[in-house]
Amino acid sequence: MVNENLVKDVVKEPYKYGFVTDIETEKIEKGLNEDVIKLISQKKEEPQFLLDFRLKAFKKWQKMKEPDWAALGYKKIDYQDIIYYSAPKQKEKISSLDEVDPKLLETFDKLGIPLTEQKKLTNVAVDAVFDSVSIATTFREELAEHGVIFCSISEAVKNHADLIEKYLGTVVPASDNYFAALNSAVFSDGSFVYIPKGVRCPMDLSSYFRINSGDSGQFERTLIIAEESSSVSYLEGCTAPMFDTNTLHAAVVELIALDDASIKYSTVQNWYAGDEEGIGGIFNFVTKRGKCLGKRSKISWSQVETGSAITWKYPSCLLLGEESVGEFYSVALTNNLQQADTGTKMIHIGPKTKSTIVSKGISAGNSKNSYRGLVKMGTKATGSRNYSQCDSMLIGDQASANTFPYIKSQQPNSEIEHEASTCRISEDQLFYLQSRGIEFEEAVSMMVSGFCRDVFNQLPMEFAAEADKLLALKLEGSVG
Amino acid sequence: MEIIEKIKTYKSIDNQTEIQKICLDKLQSSPLPNLRSEQWRLSNKSKLSNCLDYSVYGNNSKFDMPFPENSQSTIRLIIGENCQIKLIDKNYSIQQLREDELLKYIKEQISFFNQNDNWSDLLNLSLSCKNNILGLKINGSKIPPIEIFSHASSNSLNAKTLIIFCEKNCNVELLQVNLGEDNSSLSQSTFFCLEENSSLNHGVVSYGLNKSNLLNSLNVIQQKNSEYNLGSLHFKFNYARFEIRIKQSEGNARTNIKGMQITKKDEQISTYTKIDFDGPNGFLDQINKSLADDKSHAIFEGSIIVPKIAQKTDASQLSRNLLLSNLAQIDTKPQLEIIADDVKCKHGATISQLNEEELFYMRTRGITLKEASKLQLSSYFQEIISFIPVSKDRWDLLDKLLNEN
Repeated sequence: MVNENLVKDVVKEPYKYGFVTDIETEKIEKGLNEDVIKLISQKKEEPQFLLDFRLKAFKKWQKMKEPDWAALGYKKIDYQDIIYYSAPKQKEKISSLDEVDPKLLETFDKLGIPLTEQKKLTNVAVDAVFDSVSIATTFREELAEHGVIFCSISEAVKNHADLIEKYLGTVVPASDNYFAALNSAVFSDGSFVYIPKGVRCPMDLSSYFRINSGDSGQFERTLIIAEESSSVSYLEGCTAPMFDTNTLHAAVVELIALDDASIKYSTVQNWYAGDEEGIGGIFNFVTKRGKCLGKRSKISWSQVETGSAITWKYPSCLLLGEESVGEFYSVALTNNLQQADTGTKMIHIGPKTKSTIVSKGISAGNSKNSYRGLVKMGTKATGSRNYSQCDSMLIGDQASANTFPYIKSQQPNSEIEHEASTCRISEDQLFYLQSRGIEFEEAVSMMVSGFCRDVFNQLPMEFAAEADKLLALKLEGSVG
Repeated sequence: MEIIEKIKTYKSIDNQTEIQKICLDKLQSSPLPNLRSEQWRLSNKSKLSNCLDYSVYGNNSKFDMPFPENSQSTIRLIIGENCQIKLIDKNYSIQQLREDELLKYIKEQISFFNQNDNWSDLLNLSLSCKNNILGLKINGSKIPPIEIFSHASSNSLNAKTLIIFCEKNCNVELLQVNLGEDNSSLSQSTFFCLEENSSLNHGVVSYGLNKSNLLNSLNVIQQKNSEYNLGSLHFKFNYARFEIRIKQSEGNARTNIKGMQITKKDEQISTYTKIDFDGPNGFLDQINKSLADDKSHAIFEGSIIVPKIAQKTDASQLSRNLLLSNLAQIDTKPQLEIIADDVKCKHGATISQLNEEELFYMRTRGITLKEASKLQLSSYFQEIISFIPVSKDRWDLLDKLLNEN
C-alpha cells in the first residue's frame, strides 16, 4: 500500500532557503585566540567589563572538554578553522532601513521576513541578524512608546550597559558548558529585550537569524528581561545556505522573569540540514535557559526543530520563585542523516512550582532523534508538580528514536509524572484515510499534524501555520 | 588495584581456576568501574569502596541465618555447601553441569562482557572458587520448586555464582534468596539460559542485616518461545546493586519483571536493567517500585533496546516511586532506544508520597494514620510480592517489610 518510490521522489524536496547572498563582507582571520576576542570587542566598541567577561570565558573554555555524552556522532570540530566574525560591509551608522544594503533587504524578503516599511509584518517586530551582526530592527519607535527596549545586543551594550552588566551571564554562566563558554568568549550579536514593570508587550517580538558565509560560525546571544507583572511573546527563526561544509552555530539565550512576569519563547529552527548523504549542514549547539526568579513568574519554551545536521539543545527552566511555572513544548523532526539530541531541564527549587513537558519526536530516513530531559525536585520544592510526556514517531525502519529522561526527587511533598510512548504511522490508519478519498501525502501530513497538535497549539499563530507547512514539506514521502 | 591484590594474595596463580585467571586479567585493566559512567555515576563511592573492603579469605561460615523450614516438596540448595546434586525422575532431571560445559559457557559469556556493564560479574568470577559455583542443567516437566540460597559471612566478601540451563520445553519455579550477615558483602552473579519453549518463574529475595552489602547481577538469555518471569525484592542493605541484563536472542519471547527495592536509614539500593531485543515479536512488561525513607537513596535505571531486527516488539516499563522523607532521594531513568519502526514501546515514571486523599478517607473511617499508611504500603508491596514464586507465603515477606523496621 505504501509506495516506496513515491517516498524517494518527494524526499528530494529541495531546501528552499539554501541560496547565498553575494555581498561584500568584512571578516577577520580564521582561528581563535585572545587577540581575536580583543579584536571582536574592539570592533564592537565594547566597555571593559564585557571584554573581561569574554576573556574570562575564553580562559575557562580552553580548560574545558567538548562534551561527548549526547547520542550524537559527528566529525571533530576544528575550532581554529572557523571565522569568528563576519559582517556585511555597510555604512558606519544606519539611521533608517533605507540605508541598509538592498541586497540584505532582498535576502530577508526571500526568506519571507520583509523588513521594509511597506511590507513589514503586521504586529511583529523583527530583529534581523545576518552572520555576526544585527542589520535591522523594526517597530522600534512603537515599542519605545511603551518603554519596551528591543534592539541588537551590541546596541544594548552601548545604550543600556547597566542592564547588560547586571544580567548577562547570570542565567547561563560563562563556565556553564563548553559551547556556552565558547559563545561567551566570541558572541558577536543577538537580541536584547527589556520589558518594563507592568507592561504587556503590544506586539510579538521576533529575531531572524541568517548564516550566509560558509566558513564562519554564528555565535549569537539573546537576553530577555521581563520586569514585574510584564509579559512578552518572542519568536525566533533561523535559516542558512547550502554548503557542503559544516557550519558551527553556538548560541546562548538567557531569559529572566521577575514577579508575575511571563515570557513565551518560540523557535522554528530550519537551519540547512545537509544533503541526503549527510554532507554539509549546520552543527547547532545551543544553550537556552530561563530563570523564573519572581513569584508566580512563567517561562514557556516552544520549539519546532526541523533543520541542522546536528542539534544539541536543552531549553531549561530554573524555577526559583514561589508558584513559578515552566513549560516546554517541542517538536523535533529528523530526516535523512540528521541527528538531534534535544529536551529540557526543569529544576524545581522554590515551593509550589509547576512544570509541563510535552515533547514529540519524529524520526525518518536514517536519522537519530533523542529526547534527553531532567526533572529535579530540590529539597525546598514542597508542593511542586511536574508532568512530562514524550512521544516518538518512527517513519521507516532505519530511523532511531531514543528517550533518556532523568528524574530526581529530594522532596516527598512533590509529584512527578512521566510518560513516553513510541508509535508509527500505521498502514491501517493510512488505508482508512485513503479509502475516504484523502491523498496518501495528505493523509501522512494529517497524521503528523495530529501527532504534533499539543505543541502546535502552543505556538503563536503565524508560527503554527508555518510549522505545520514546514513539517509536511520535510516529511513528504518519507513514509515507507 | 587493591581488590585484585587481595585476590592474588589469597590465591596464588597456581591455585586459580582458568575462569579466575581470565577474569582477573580483565579486571586488571580496570580494577574499578568507571564511576563517571552512566551505570555507576550515582553509586555512593564510599559505600562501594566499603563494600569491597572486606576480606576475601573465604571465611565461609556455615549458613545459620533464620529461615523457614524446608517443605518436603521443595528442593533446597545452598551455594557453597551442598552443591552435589543429581535428581532424575521419570518426568524430569536436574543435574550438575560438567566442568567443561561450565567453562565453555562462562568463557563464551566473558567474551561479550563490557567492562562497565559487567564489572560486577568480572569481580564475581574472579573471586568465585570452584565450590561456590553452582551449575545446573534442568529438563522435563512437573519439576518441584527449587530454592537456592547464597549468603555472605560476617566481615568477609563472598562470591557465589549460579548458572542454570533450562532445556527445551521445561518449566521451572525457582526462588533465589541472598542473605547478608552483619558487616558482610555478597557478590552474587547468576546466569540463565532459557532454551526454546522453556519457562522460568524466578524470584529473588535479598535482605541483609546491619551494614550488609550486595552486588547482585543477573544475566538471562532467552531463546525463542521462552518465557521468563522475575519477581524481585531487595531491602535492608547498606549498599546494594541489582543488575538485570536480559537478551531475547531470537525474539518471540516473553519477559515479565516486577521488582521492588526499599531503602531506609542511610542505605543505597539501586536497580539497573538492560533489556535487549535481538529478534522480532518480543514482549516485555516491567514494573519497578522504590520506596525511600529516612536519609536513604533509591535508584532505578532501565534501558530497553530495540534494534531494527526487533519488529513488532511490545515493551513497557514503569517506574513507580514513593519518597517518604525530606532527606531521602530517588533517582529514576527509564530509557528507550528504538530503531525498528513497527513497535509498541512505552515507559512511565512517577515519584510521589502516600496518597493523602486515601489516607484521609481511611482516617474518617476511624483508622489511625499509622494503620492507614500501613494499609496503603501493603497494597503497594503486595503487587510485587504476589509475583515472587515458591515460598513467598511461608516467608511472610509482607510482614517483614511492614513490621520489622
